Amino acid sequence: MTVNALRMTGATKSYGRTVALDGLDLVVEEGRFFVIFGPSAVGKTTALRTISGLVRLDRGSVDLFGQDVTHAPIAGRGVSMVFQTFALYPHLTVYNNLAYPLREAKVASAEVDRRVKEVAAMLRISHVLNRKPTTASGGEQQRVALGRSLIQRPKLLLLDEPLTNLDAKLRHDMRAEFKRLHREFGITIVYATPDELEALSMGDEIAVMRQGKVVQVGSPDELYDRPRDVYVATKIGAPAMNIISAKRGREASTIELPFGEVSVDPRKSWAAVAADAAAGESFLLGVRPYDLKLTGSSGYSGEVRLVEPLGDLTVVDVHAGGAELKMVLPEAQAAGVRHGDRLNFAFDAAHAHLFRPRDGAALG
Amino acid sequence: MTDAALPRLAMRRKSRVSRGVGHAGWGRTIGAGVVSLIYFFPVLWIVLTAFKSHSDALAVPPKWLFTPTLENFVQVFNRAYSADGVAVDTKFDLFFFNSIFIAGTSVALALIIGTLAAFGFSRYPLKGNQTYLFIILTTRMLPAIVVIIPILIMFRVTGLAGTYVGIIMLYTAFNLPFTIWMMKSFFDELSPDVEDAARLDGSSDTKVFFKICMPQVYAGIAATAVFGLILTWNEYLFALLLTGVQTRTVPVAMAQTIGGDIGVRWGLLAAIETLFLIPVILVTFFLQNHLLRGVTFGTVKR
Repeated sequence: MTVNALRMTGATKSYGRTVALDGLDLVVEEGRFFVIFGPSAVGKTTALRTISGLVRLDRGSVDLFGQDVTHAPIAGRGVSMVFQTFALYPHLTVYNNLAYPLREAKVASAEVDRRVKEVAAMLRISHVLNRKPTTASGGEQQRVALGRSLIQRPKLLLLDEPLTNLDAKLRHDMRAEFKRLHREFGITIVYATPDELEALSMGDEIAVMRQGKVVQVGSPDELYDRPRDVYVATKIGAPAMNIISAKRGREASTIELPFGEVSVDPRKSWAAVAADAAAGESFLLGVRPYDLKLTGSSGYSGEVRLVEPLGDLTVVDVHAGGAELKMVLPEAQAAGVRHGDRLNFAFDAAHAHLFRPRDGAALG
Repeated sequence: MTDAALPRLAMRRKSRVSRGVGHAGWGRTIGAGVVSLIYFFPVLWIVLTAFKSHSDALAVPPKWLFTPTLENFVQVFNRAYSADGVAVDTKFDLFFFNSIFIAGTSVALALIIGTLAAFGFSRYPLKGNQTYLFIILTTRMLPAIVVIIPILIMFRVTGLAGTYVGIIMLYTAFNLPFTIWMMKSFFDELSPDVEDAARLDGSSDTKVFFKICMPQVYAGIAATAVFGLILTWNEYLFALLLTGVQTRTVPVAMAQTIGGDIGVRWGLLAAIETLFLIPVILVTFFLQNHLLRGVTFGTVKR
């Protein structure tokens, strides 16, 4: 049986009138690379700080490896954390930064030296050991912060937006580095990020947060293919899913869109919902930009408003019947597309999603 | 300006930009030197006067070239109070000790209390934190003379007048607002994440303060110490009214050398001032690197 590294139940925390966590529930299995995803100020950092013991909950509980630590002190949790700002000790050398947690734990100095050098070699920061952290590059500082966490051999490693303060190239390298470390150490990682690319590329499992709550937990594929609501649908995947206001058509098998009609695929789970609805009932239809295809002369018609070439792919903004849509086209297809052109497009309803307008919940 | 000078000037301008500060050019260096000399001149004149004989010190027009003498420095500690009297101990060694002891102790006490208080104000804000901070500062908004009578009475009643404890307590109290405000601003600059990281690395709150926060604000402590020291060192009014013969500080004792039957002894006064300058200059000199970092703290992107 797998052990739960972390279980948060009904975790609630307010700062004055600001509710940071609003009944948060999380379960992280041991050995997972678990991502908490959500835009800024959604409660990710508070969640991590609660797990580490820096923040005490108003209500709810935190279990680590089967032990209730809700009211336990920070020490002895076996948790370490890498901060968004790296939070290195500016007055100490890199060596002493790495040694700090071991010295606080009264580890013998020979052992401290051995472990500092081991971690430094593994993270390729041996050449900056005698320097102050501020003289190291951003990527090196990041690795020092990571090293200071790993040297404690934590059972659970918390990473709070560790790549936000790095440039794009370094972010790419460090994503690979984190995955490598996760594989090599087999450590449980909880990783908070506002970046869906980081979330999708690194997470075994992703919890999407909104206003102090978890909206949906799942593997990257589950979140991408079966978003629970419009919020998740538009947060996961870039460019964001097109959300189009729709109505049930006069016939049970059709959905009316601003630019035309689409037949409901009976295989799709939401087909029955659409069929049961009254004619004219409102829905929101979601289509991923990748699922919109160019067609020769058939299909729907729209006008190109913006062309953004991204190398292999091109993002095209299309205005169709009052709806603004984004399409992602392969470079070859997009080559002739210009601002102001009219083009025809279609999509397979089997790849579309249907949501309830009232609360954005996925139907079916 | 000749035409030939133009390209050279242009070249120098260019190199100045590329090499950044420290290459301000001769014109600016000389300009800065002249301004510095104007500021420094009184100090220079005092130091020169300290080495002049009584008649040289009074000479009109002022003498630039003179035979230096150490007579004034000897007289600081040992002199006759009348023209035909016997030289006696002036107790100036005691007054110098008093100045150093009283200023040093009160600045140190203010730093210890003020740093702890500032950390509290910065990290564990009370309800109405800003109000407390404001109230603390109001004690420095009045001229000292306004509060001197109640303080004098308090010192008389409690028997603190003329004691080291009394004047040190008073100076500590007067240094505290400045110390708290300065140190709070330094603590406010520190990243709270760094302290949280230390907590996660196994440090208690006490260790976080001493091992993480304090080392980061050494520059601030140095700057605060120098400013506090200069204020206390030169303080005259409270020292005049609240110290006794045994606890008298140099500024008071210096003022009391004026008078006697040969008028103002400028050479002697200058010698006392010269000696009086040395400790503060030494402290400032040793702390100057920290001082610069301290006063510019937070203005540079870290």
